[in-house]
This record gives sequence, structure tokens and C-alpha cells, in this order.
Amino acid sequence: MATVTFDQASRFYPGSDVPAVDRLDLDIGDGEFLVLVGPSGCGKSTTLRMLAGLEDVDEGAIHIGDRDVTNLPPRERDIAMVFQSYALYPHMTVAQNMGFALEMAKVPKEERSARVLEAARILDLEPYLDRRPKALSGGQRQRVAMGRAIVRQPKVFLMDEPLSNLDAKLRVSTRSQIAALQKRLGVTTVYVTHDQVEAMTMGDRVAVLKDGVLQQCDTPLALYKKPANNFVAGFIGSPSMNIREFKVANGHARIGELDVPLSRDELGVLAREGSDSVLLGFRPESVDLVGAGEGFPVVVRLVEELGADAYLYGSIVGTEDAEAADIVTRVDPARTPRIGETVYLRVRPGQEHAFSPQTGERLG
Amino acid sequence: MLTPSLPAPTATKPRQPPAPRTLTAGERWRLRAPLLPALVFAIALTQVPFLLTLYYSVQSQNLLRPGSKEFVGLANYGKVFTDELFRNAVFNTVTLTASTVILSMLLGIGLAVLLDKKFLGRSVVRTLLITPFLVMPAAAALLWKTSMFNPVFGLVNWMLSPFGVDNVDWASRYPMPAIVGVLVWQWTPFMMLIVLAGLQSQSPEVLEAAKVDGANAWQTFRRVTLPHLRQFIELAILLGSIFIVQTFDAIFMITQGGPGQATTNLPYFIYQQAFRAFDVGEAAAAGVIVVVATITIAMVALRVISNLFTEESA
Repeated sequence: MATVTFDQASRFYPGSDVPAVDRLDLDIGDGEFLVLVGPSGCGKSTTLRMLAGLEDVDEGAIHIGDRDVTNLPPRERDIAMVFQSYALYPHMTVAQNMGFALEMAKVPKEERSARVLEAARILDLEPYLDRRPKALSGGQRQRVAMGRAIVRQPKVFLMDEPLSNLDAKLRVSTRSQIAALQKRLGVTTVYVTHDQVEAMTMGDRVAVLKDGVLQQCDTPLALYKKPANNFVAGFIGSPSMNIREFKVANGHARIGELDVPLSRDELGVLAREGSDSVLLGFRPESVDLVGAGEGFPVVVRLVEELGADAYLYGSIVGTEDAEAADIVTRVDPARTPRIGETVYLRVRPGQEHAFSPQTGERLG
Repeated sequence: MLTPSLPAPTATKPRQPPAPRTLTAGERWRLRAPLLPALVFAIALTQVPFLLTLYYSVQSQNLLRPGSKEFVGLANYGKVFTDELFRNAVFNTVTLTASTVILSMLLGIGLAVLLDKKFLGRSVVRTLLITPFLVMPAAAALLWKTSMFNPVFGLVNWMLSPFGVDNVDWASRYPMPAIVGVLVWQWTPFMMLIVLAGLQSQSPEVLEAAKVDGANAWQTFRRVTLPHLRQFIELAILLGSIFIVQTFDAIFMITQGGPGQATTNLPYFIYQQAFRAFDVGEAAAAGVIVVVATITIAMVALRVISNLFTEESA
């Protein structure tokens, strides 16, 4: 068990001037479950592979515990990795797969089989120890890959989208099993995913990356409640936050026919930037249906009924740009508006997020 | 596999889904007809000579004594099995095939591992390494005999002269190693290509997993890559053996089976029986024996290939 520190770590792929990972600073606590999340190509897998030693660190440094591992080969880093394809050794049995690392570390045979057996017990793999990976189901293979990591009792677990090859139902149950297992073992874990639901449900903290740059690293709830910029705001949450540019006049942002007050701090930043508009975001679940005149009018285009929830897709009346007018809101599934109807919506006070239209950074 | 083309949709009958239709016997033959010449050709070239060989193998016939032809049953086979020269040829064939296959396989694995790495000019190097396989065997043998093994002008002696080797006539002093050398030169690319295909079909993530699991380069090769390559190696060895058993060109060109009988393998033995001794009967019997032996090896080879495919698709 150990802390992990990225210190201004960068990675340039050969022949590219744009860094895949750009001066990443990240402190991961002992025993913490940190999720790296972002769209494809954001550098999250590269970050993990740099920590594993499978990718060079071109600038900066990486520490595991007190040890500088920047230039160490993978086998000297005391890490275990779960690959997206599981990367099991096809010609070895499950037991041999799980014991391979211990064998390489010259662990005596009795201890080796004891540790493999214990890992197999934790993961319900005991009946399959003599099988080859070929003869296992996808979920069982995934557990073998997990088992191969946990028998080593490493300082850090690295997981590269370990659930993406499972079907949707198995993914949800395995998700909670991995999180519970990590809590029980208490091993520092870095977990890569592109799925923001996975990130929110599993991580102690979530680091959001975009274009190789760390956008925000915080607890799931803080990311949801106080996104640092409009990218994080749009990435976290499903359906994603409505973020539109609105005109600012007299200290208010004007949404259709409704004025939403902005705070003094927010107005101050906008004034300094010289902006006469603001990027205002509100989540689909932060909106109430109100009577006429109390909110901004919206023409209903489509209603999605999911049973527990219903989502209303509509456009704000009185906005010139048709695309900027489209919004999504959650409504009571018991009383869904009809398509074509005009409804009045109001954002719950304090649940709107204001961002700079120029930098995308959060205001205030 | 063969579906008849539908008539073009007419104005009265717009688009219709193709109806499944059973073919009449005549139609089936019409569809197969274009394949017939190839079939007839293959039968004429392989089966007719084989049947003739079977016929000759039970006749006593020597071309030097016209009119000597008579039916002798299996006497020719008996003669072949008791012929010391035949046993010598079998021994030579096994030696030649085994040493060539083993040496070219070891070299092939080594080169394939090197070629699997990325380096500048890799495709040029790969093409150059394949070329020995593309040279006509007779031409290659002639080249080795004259420009490599020649005791006075040969490149082998010239290259080894700094080490005190002087005017060695390789083809007569060390006939078997010389032939093996030529064949290894020719067959290493074949082994290398198959092993290279095996290496490139290996998942890079498995190799990374081995790295993370603490295996060094040799352990990774020994414990992860080699088991993956096993079936590719088996396949290459079996296919290579089938081809190398039939070696004729190099022996005919370089040593003529000699000195004495030192490099006479089975194909060359049969050639000697038929076209030097003109004993057609014994030559035919020996030929039948070699065909049966080769088919046995080929069947094992085919089983390995089919295993390989089921393994890959699993």
C-alpha cells in the first residue's frame, strides 16, 4: 500500500508535438480508489500506462510511496494491472495464470498455491482453477484477471476499463463487487473508464481529463455540485447538463422571458473579461414546472418516459439561435406535458452554474 | 455455394425475393463443367503416374535387357527392403531432413524474433531474408557449388581463410554438412515466415501483462511466447519435413549423391535405380514406399493444421 504522486508528468508520442498527457499533477492517497475518466483520446489510459511503466514519462516524475519510479521497468514498481482484454495467458490454467507473478517473484510453491487458493475463494473461482481461459465465460475471465492482480498483494492496482467487455447487467454487479473488494483489501487503486456512471459510483475521487489536461479532481458529489468548468459540467451527469449562452443585462442572465439573478462575484468576473453574456448551466433535475409567467416558456418537442423518470426535450421560446434553445429537463412521470404544448420552467434558485463564455471556467 | 443467377425482373413482375430452387441434375453438371478440365488435368498428372508406378513395382523390368519384363509379385519390395543402399538412403534422408529442419527452425525463430522488433529498414531486411526461398532450388545449388564451395575460388574458403582454413573441398570432404548448409540457407526463410506470423498474432496486452507480472525478456519468451508459438512451430516443422524429404536438386547438382553413397537420399536413390541402373521395377517399388511414408507424415501434418485452426477460432 502506498500513495501515488504524479509530478508534472507529461507524455509525448513520437512524431507528435501535442502531449498525450500534459503536465499532470495528481496526489493519490494511501488506499484511495481514484477513477480517471474522460472521453476517448483524453489521455486517461496513457496516464495509467505511465504509472505502470508501459509508457515512457517524457517530462516530470511519478512516485509510488517515497520511491521515484519514473524510469523503473514495470516489474520493479510493485504494481498489478487488470487489462481491458484481461490479457490472460491462454495456455495456462486459471491457477497458473494467477500464480505466474508469484512464480516470477520466486515465491515458494506452498505459499504460492495458498495465496492463489485464497484469491480464488474471494472471487468464487475455486471450481475453475484447472481450466484454461478459453473454457471460461467473460465474467469468469474478468474475475481471473482480478485474481491475478490481488494474489500479488501489490502497492497499487491499475485497472484499464476492466468492465467494458461485460454485458450491461454483469457490469453493474461487477462494478459494486470491485468497489467492495477494493475497500476490503485497502489497496490504492487507479481505475480508468470512459463511463461517467462507473466513475461516480466507484471512485473515492474522480479525475476528469480532456486532451491530456486534468480538468478537475474531486469527490463524485463535488464534481456534480461544483464542476470547475463547462466541460466537467457537461461530462458528469446523465442526461448531461444544459449549458447555453445567455445575454446579461442589469445583473441578470436572460433565459427566454425570465431573468435569473447572478451573484456579485460572477458579475465581477464577467465585467473584468468584458463579456456581455454568460454560459449558464442547469441540470435536467434542477428544473421545476411552474405556472404561466413564473418561468421561461418552453415548447415541448419530445417526452421520453422511463417509468421512474420522464425527460422533456423542448426549445426555449424567444431565443434566436434554434440550437441554443434546445434543453432537456426531468419532469414528473405522473404528469407529463403533451408534445407541442408550451410549458413554463424555472431553475431552482442556487442550482444554476455560471461559467465564463470565454474560458469556460466556473464563475464564483 | 453455387446459386443460379435470376432472370432480370420484368415490367409485369417487379422485384421478387429470390425463391429457393432445387437444381436439376443437368443444371448441376452444367455448373460444374468449368471445373472439369482442372480435375482431369490433376488426375492425369498425379493418379495415372501413380497407378503406372504401382504396375511397374510388381514387374521385373530392366531397360538394359529388353523383353525381360515379367510379373514378380512383391519381389521388388523384398529386394528394396533388403537392399543395403536403400537403407543407407533412408538413413541419409532422415539425417538430412532432421538436421535441416532443426537448424533452419532455430535460425528462423531467432530471425523472426529480431524481425518482430521495430527498426529502421525493417521491410528491406525482411525482403532480403526471404529471397533465398524465392531462388529456384537448382539455380541455388549451382550457385553454392560453384561460387561458395569451390575449393580454390569459393567464398566459404575465402571467408574462413583468416581462421586458417585453406582450400577445403567442402562438397567432397564434408558432403552432408555442405548439402545441409545449402538447404538450411533455403529453408530458414520459410520457418521464419511462419514463426513471424505466429509472433505477430500474439496479443500485445498479454506481453504487457507478463511485463507487469515481473517476467524479464527471456522468461516472457520462454513462458508466454514459446507456448503460443508451439503450434506454429509444429506446423512449420511438418510442412518443412514433407518438402525436404523430397530434396533432389541440391544433391543432383552438388554431390551426385556421393562421394560413394554419402549423400544419396531416397529421391536420388530412386533416380539412380531408374535412370542409372535402369531397374524400373525396384525403382517403382521404392517410389511407392516413399509415397506411403510421405502420405503418413502429411496426414499428421494436416491434423496439426486443423488443430491450429480450431484453436485460433476458439
